Amino acid sequence: MSDAAATALDAGIRVRPTGLARFRQNFFRFLVRKRLGALGLFIAIFFIIMALFAPVLSRYDTERVFDSENPNFKTNPSIVDLARDPNIGSPRIVASYESPNAEHWFGTDSVGRDIYARVIYGSQLSLIVGFGASLIAVFFGLILGVVSGYYRGWIDLILQRFVDALQAFPALVLLLLLVQIAEPSVRNTVIALGIVGVPVSTRLVRSTVFSVSSTDYVSAARATGATDLRIMFRHILPNIASVVLITFSIGIGAYILFEATISFLGVGPRNVVSWGKMVQEGRASIESHPWLSVFAGGGIALLVVGFNFLGDALRDVLDPRLGRG
Amino acid sequence: MGRSPAPAFRPGKLIFRVTGQVSVIDYIIRRVLLNILVLWMVATLVFAALRVLPGNYAVAQFAGANLGGVTPEAIANAEKELGLDKPVTTQYRDFMWNTIRLDLGDSFRTKRSVWSELRDAFPYSAELAFLIVLVGFGVAVPVGILSAVNQDKWPDYVLRGIAIGALAAPVFWTASIAVSIVLAFDLFKIDVIGQPHLWDDPIGALKWYLIPMFAGGLASTANTMRVLRSQMLEVLRDDYIRTARAKGLNERSVVMRHALRNALLPVLTVMGLTVATIVGSQIVLEQMFNIPGIGRLLFTSIFLRDYPLTQGLVLLTTFVIVSTNLAVDVLYGYLDPRVRLA
Repeated sequence: MSDAAATALDAGIRVRPTGLARFRQNFFRFLVRKRLGALGLFIAIFFIIMALFAPVLSRYDTERVFDSENPNFKTNPSIVDLARDPNIGSPRIVASYESPNAEHWFGTDSVGRDIYARVIYGSQLSLIVGFGASLIAVFFGLILGVVSGYYRGWIDLILQRFVDALQAFPALVLLLLLVQIAEPSVRNTVIALGIVGVPVSTRLVRSTVFSVSSTDYVSAARATGATDLRIMFRHILPNIASVVLITFSIGIGAYILFEATISFLGVGPRNVVSWGKMVQEGRASIESHPWLSVFAGGGIALLVVGFNFLGDALRDVLDPRLGRG
Repeated sequence: MGRSPAPAFRPGKLIFRVTGQVSVIDYIIRRVLLNILVLWMVATLVFAALRVLPGNYAVAQFAGANLGGVTPEAIANAEKELGLDKPVTTQYRDFMWNTIRLDLGDSFRTKRSVWSELRDAFPYSAELAFLIVLVGFGVAVPVGILSAVNQDKWPDYVLRGIAIGALAAPVFWTASIAVSIVLAFDLFKIDVIGQPHLWDDPIGALKWYLIPMFAGGLASTANTMRVLRSQMLEVLRDDYIRTARAKGLNERSVVMRHALRNALLPVLTVMGLTVATIVGSQIVLEQMFNIPGIGRLLFTSIFLRDYPLTQGLVLLTTFVIVSTNLAVDVLYGYLDPRVRLA
């Protein structure tokens, strides 16, 4: 039935908004009914804006090393002075380990870089990793899950054993192996994380395809001689869209956590600002200068909470059957 | 429907998809066979992944020495000594054959057998895992009950908020913050001498394990707590709960004796699944707190390209995970006769 026909039929009973208006209505209903989901959405948007406008918001360059006047500066220090304080002869020294102040809102790290700027830029990596890995996991999960759930039989059997093995493999160990295969760039990290996520997304898609492909309209389509590909694209895909969206959104938080963990362990992407790496850098001086760890770790926790809230709420709204397990 | 003609050999039917009622023994046999298949695939996967990783132990060893003596001959000799000069197919065949005979080989680095490395490392990881589960369960059960009993009141919101926060906070971060708090307020001295086991020096070991066990435990709490809460909510609406209340039982015994016992079952499944998560936490926590357990060993062995050790450790961890899940499923059927194993 075309959209126009549907609208015409409905008109007599109740005017149902279509298109953008309908989306807007659903969206606002979501915000009102799912307070936590709304909070999650707010947090996610907050960080997305942070990442997009990082150059404007960050105030300083992430790699800029700040210095300050040396309070102990002495012209022509004696050898004894130098032995006590090797920096005594320099008028300016690196402004390391500053506590939060007007100039450095979150303080500075061990080599005098602005923590606030680094926290702002760190959101970029986390978001790229979260969305990228989830996209890859869902894409391959969709292919494997639809094929497995639609054809069943031997294909399903073999594919699912493979998924079993990937799932039994401790995720972090698999990740540690995968990230070392290629150079530790952002792209390769995203790919490795995506692969780790494939089993879960395959399972979710497959179970939905199972129930969808045993519906009457799929049997009807088959009876009219529709090809497998056509059934998959025209009849199954549109009907599992909500599960795909849920799978996508629910994994993001986990990928962000994984990236932070491997960066913390020192095998994350190189040459980028990563929150996990910052927590690691902050550990050395955590007793006296906890700021680096506190803000970077707080960023991870808040962002992941946001995506978890959002994912949970989306799941409840879009597919209550999946929920609560 | 008449009897079908003699079926062709269909392992699919035989192993994986038995329909109708299944006896527990059949079920266990089928699952064990499946687990062996999974273990084989994991073994193949880790074998392949290690060979794909750039560099090998022979190269890493000489590159690490970095004294200018890295000649191709020296590397070739070392590879020969480690058996890395054989074709990959031969290596794979040897690995499989030895694994079947439960011989996991010798670690490249220490030259000790993987089994003796395991024997040293396993107790530490088992202790930590036990404590993590203890904390996780100890927090999740009361919190889950309180949250369910006070559904949609402020304790529910606060507790759930904390649980979701604990799930989102990276374990290395909570552990770092805990260390800084302990140090800042001088709560207790982490003056652990040596690497004590719980049974050798309980106080010393607990001091050492305290932060990692709470960091790991809290991270594993959230899922258990959420499942327990929703189960409790469901159970509390059941008729027998209404009967219990109608009998005039006080609320405490209704909740603890009638509801909780039935709500705890599904939690068991989550606990089984949590084992896999705990393995991940342990790699991080053992690394942070210098606990010489499986997690840290695994991390370093991957780094050093210590093939036999990595393979052995991954196989063992996977074995523990799949066996726990099997045990949980069987136990589940035993504890709840309504559940039919299928």
